[in-house]
Amino acid sequence: MRGKVAIIGYAQSYHQGNMPMTREDMVFEVAKGAAEMAGITREDLDTVINASNDYLDGRTISELFLVMPMGAYLRDYTKVEMDGAFAMFYGMLKILSGTHDIALIVANTQGSTFNPHQISTYMLDPTFDRQIGVLNDVSMAAIQARMYMNKYSVSEDEVAIVSLKNLGNAAKNPHAHRRMPGITIEEVLNSKLLYDPIRELTMSPISDGACAVVLATEKKARELSDNPVWIEGVGSSQDSYIRNRNLYHLEGLEKAAKRAYQMADIKNQFAELDLAEVSERYAYEELMIYEALGFCEKGKGGTLIDSCATFKDGQLPVNPSGGALSADPITATGLIRVVEAVMQIRGEAGACQLPGVWRALAHGQTGVCAQSNIVYILGGEY
Amino acid sequence: MWRNVAVIGVGQTKHGIRREVNVAEMIGEAAWKAIEDAELAPEEIDAIAIGNMQGFGGICQAELWSGDWFGAPGKPLLRIATGGTTGGSVAQCAIYQVASGMFDVALAIGFEKHSDSKEPGATMGLAHVGLANFFHLLACGLDFKTSLAWGGGVGAAAGVSGYQAANYMHRSGCKIEHLDMVAAKSRSNAAKNEYAHLQWPNCTVDYIANHPRFGEIVAYPLRLGHICPASDGASAIIVAAEERARSAERPAWVRGLASCADEENQMAENAQGVAVTDSSEQIQCKIAATKAYSMAGIKNPREEIDVAEIYQPFPHQELIYSERLQLFDDGKAWIPLEEGETQIDGRLPIDPSGGVLSTNAIGSSAMQRVAECALQIMGKAGQHQVPKDVKNAVAHGWGGSTNFTVVTILGDTPRLRR
Amino acid sequence: MKSSKEEVIPVKGLPVSAAYGWSVGELMEKFIKELRNKKILATKCPKCNYTYVPPRLTCGKCFAKMDANNLTELSGKGVLVGYTTAYVELDGNGNFRDLNKPKLIGAIKLDGADSTIFMPLLDVEPEKVKEVLKVGVVWREETKGELADIKGFRPIK
Repeated sequence: MRGKVAIIGYAQSYHQGNMPMTREDMVFEVAKGAAEMAGITREDLDTVINASNDYLDGRTISELFLVMPMGAYLRDYTKVEMDGAFAMFYGMLKILSGTHDIALIVANTQGSTFNPHQISTYMLDPTFDRQIGVLNDVSMAAIQARMYMNKYSVSEDEVAIVSLKNLGNAAKNPHAHRRMPGITIEEVLNSKLLYDPIRELTMSPISDGACAVVLATEKKARELSDNPVWIEGVGSSQDSYIRNRNLYHLEGLEKAAKRAYQMADIKNQFAELDLAEVSERYAYEELMIYEALGFCEKGKGGTLIDSCATFKDGQLPVNPSGGALSADPITATGLIRVVEAVMQIRGEAGACQLPGVWRALAHGQTGVCAQSNIVYILGGEY
Repeated sequence: MWRNVAVIGVGQTKHGIRREVNVAEMIGEAAWKAIEDAELAPEEIDAIAIGNMQGFGGICQAELWSGDWFGAPGKPLLRIATGGTTGGSVAQCAIYQVASGMFDVALAIGFEKHSDSKEPGATMGLAHVGLANFFHLLACGLDFKTSLAWGGGVGAAAGVSGYQAANYMHRSGCKIEHLDMVAAKSRSNAAKNEYAHLQWPNCTVDYIANHPRFGEIVAYPLRLGHICPASDGASAIIVAAEERARSAERPAWVRGLASCADEENQMAENAQGVAVTDSSEQIQCKIAATKAYSMAGIKNPREEIDVAEIYQPFPHQELIYSERLQLFDDGKAWIPLEEGETQIDGRLPIDPSGGVLSTNAIGSSAMQRVAECALQIMGKAGQHQVPKDVKNAVAHGWGGSTNFTVVTILGDTPRLRR
Repeated sequence: MKSSKEEVIPVKGLPVSAAYGWSVGELMEKFIKELRNKKILATKCPKCNYTYVPPRLTCGKCFAKMDANNLTELSGKGVLVGYTTAYVELDGNGNFRDLNKPKLIGAIKLDGADSTIFMPLLDVEPEKVKEVLKVGVVWREETKGELADIKGFRPIK
């Protein structure tokens, strides 16, 4: 990489089901919060990038009325209409090109505006799948879950343990939407069944939330921050559409992860990563994510969760924040994973804090069954 | 430290009504044309940038379904959307993808398939810009007419542009005749552009002004003949790093780029009022232009720019933006128009391609401004190639309620000399 | 004027709906029209042999171009590679509503094709679906050359 890029400020909202706040106020709070933490004012911003989606917001040009609250007034500006973790990538590219020193990335969705699951049907092939009418992101996830579980003999219990872990972790996360301290396997397995085997507690909630990060060049980062978190590696890849991709493995994520690992020179995930924050829209997805990230061999995701290695006190904790299962404000979700990882590295994760975190992986996705993925390797200062 | 990048390939579909292809095929058409124009193998594309306005075509993140059609599987891809200037922002994304040093060759595609919507003339997509605000105001107890007025006529671009034209005519020497002149010039130029939509060869001012249908005033001061069509189409460019670009015959080097966002014009968040009282002022365009020219090392744009592709779905915008892009004095752009300077064979041709006035597939239209500038520098603009040496060209785009601006400067020499 | 941060003014959806009519392209049009004759068409990539159903113009695996010359006909029989039982459905307005009777959705690999298609699974009880191996098309009584001509798939021997 030509030069280094650091994260020097962040903020996230208190994600909830129906935020008693306008989009504009929600965005303003996180934009301001991130800038304040970074020690900069609006005038210091060289570029602002938004991640929101017209359909999710029910507005054409979803970012139109967010220019002011985002701090984009008379700034270089654009919108990445994907998960916020991708918007952060664009911020990184602008900084590395040498034309911008400081970037503010703001991601926001109020899922309460309109059911994102209905919107997922608009992502389908309009000439075929959408006409046939059986698919949406939940039923498609159910099909993938069943294919994966049958092929590798993964039990519903093992999938439920992911929910147990993440919703339990979220109990200590004040920003999480769905926190369930003391949650049991029975509660998970008895929650409402939508499309077998997907249940209410094995899929993410519909959340309102926003998140922001400030990126800076190495020079600016050292000037402004005592605690910059460096982007050591990044990789992304878009997989084929559902009809023409391998549904047993998240191949796109595997490609993205390999690119990130190569850039960050990671050869042994367990030895070199202290934790991972991944975007698991569905509990079964986290098991497939383990495999794609190389945390275990193909088909061994169930075995890995059984070993407790990805629990908070395990060898490689995954989603100590509670992950997407605890809060899923769609376009903000991946950027929240970045922020949670940054918090851990900086020692600012409060009750969720794990000891000795220096290097973390953060993952964001977009599209049905995680079609497009981005992976970051983040590292603290020595 | 800047990395020299250039446009080495351009691809466009015929823009118009394209019912014989689905949107995936249409995107693929432009992408493959660009890849072939750049003489690349698809495997050589390292990254992709793509964008459109979802509401018009009725598909959410259409590039996810259609990725197979343009070589996306396995590639890093970014989806960009910024209203009308989406295509310009997508082009800039590809430029940054390469300029960052992370990728060597990037493909950028802008597209729109308006005909897939059953509503006339992109109505639904446009209405949804302000519809939520409009109903919010009604729910707060405001009456229908006031809500509509505060909501800027709800139709974003179209609603605001009427106000903008009136503002502009009030503060400059521009009259309706000048709007007729711009429209006539655009439609005539478009007739020389094989990919354009509304091609009216040798279109005259008289035709625009006195036609029983097109001459009718739709929303003062705009006639029907002044309004852009809603087109289907896709356009694509290939951006490459210097080492790769040097193998192209005549690359169009990126010399400067910038974007800037102002507060929304006319419309406001939650009816809080807006500070922009004159939407023809376009402060953010002045800022973006200054930044881009400075990057490009251009000190005297009106002398150094050889051709301009300005985003003008409405004719007064060609005049306004040519002033904000420092090509003519404030309020005076109508003079060079009258004197023929901006004709295709004039001193400073504006929109030799016919511009957005003649072809408007929203996601594609601002990309076409960059593509057309590249074609002019590369000498590949065919019948609408300007008959002069093209050293520097400026591509402009606006989006939102005329409050987003994107400016890209291309030239025949790289930004950094070795 | 007192501003009340607690007051939420609900706007219950907008009384407008948008209608779309997507053009399907020539190959897809052929596919849809041939359903009338109970034929299922696919395109086979001339370079890597990956066979797409429904048919299409570009291969996503090797980027080769295809056209009507690459069309091939499938038997309509296939293998069930995945399934789910639906207990809810979306009502089009963003609400999940409970189904009176659960419905099955199948992921099917048609013989001769590499794509997976997702269709209603008929004539089988949810408890028995894991035993289903082979499936075949269930055609509408009167086929008209529309996507609805395929009602779904059912288990076959």
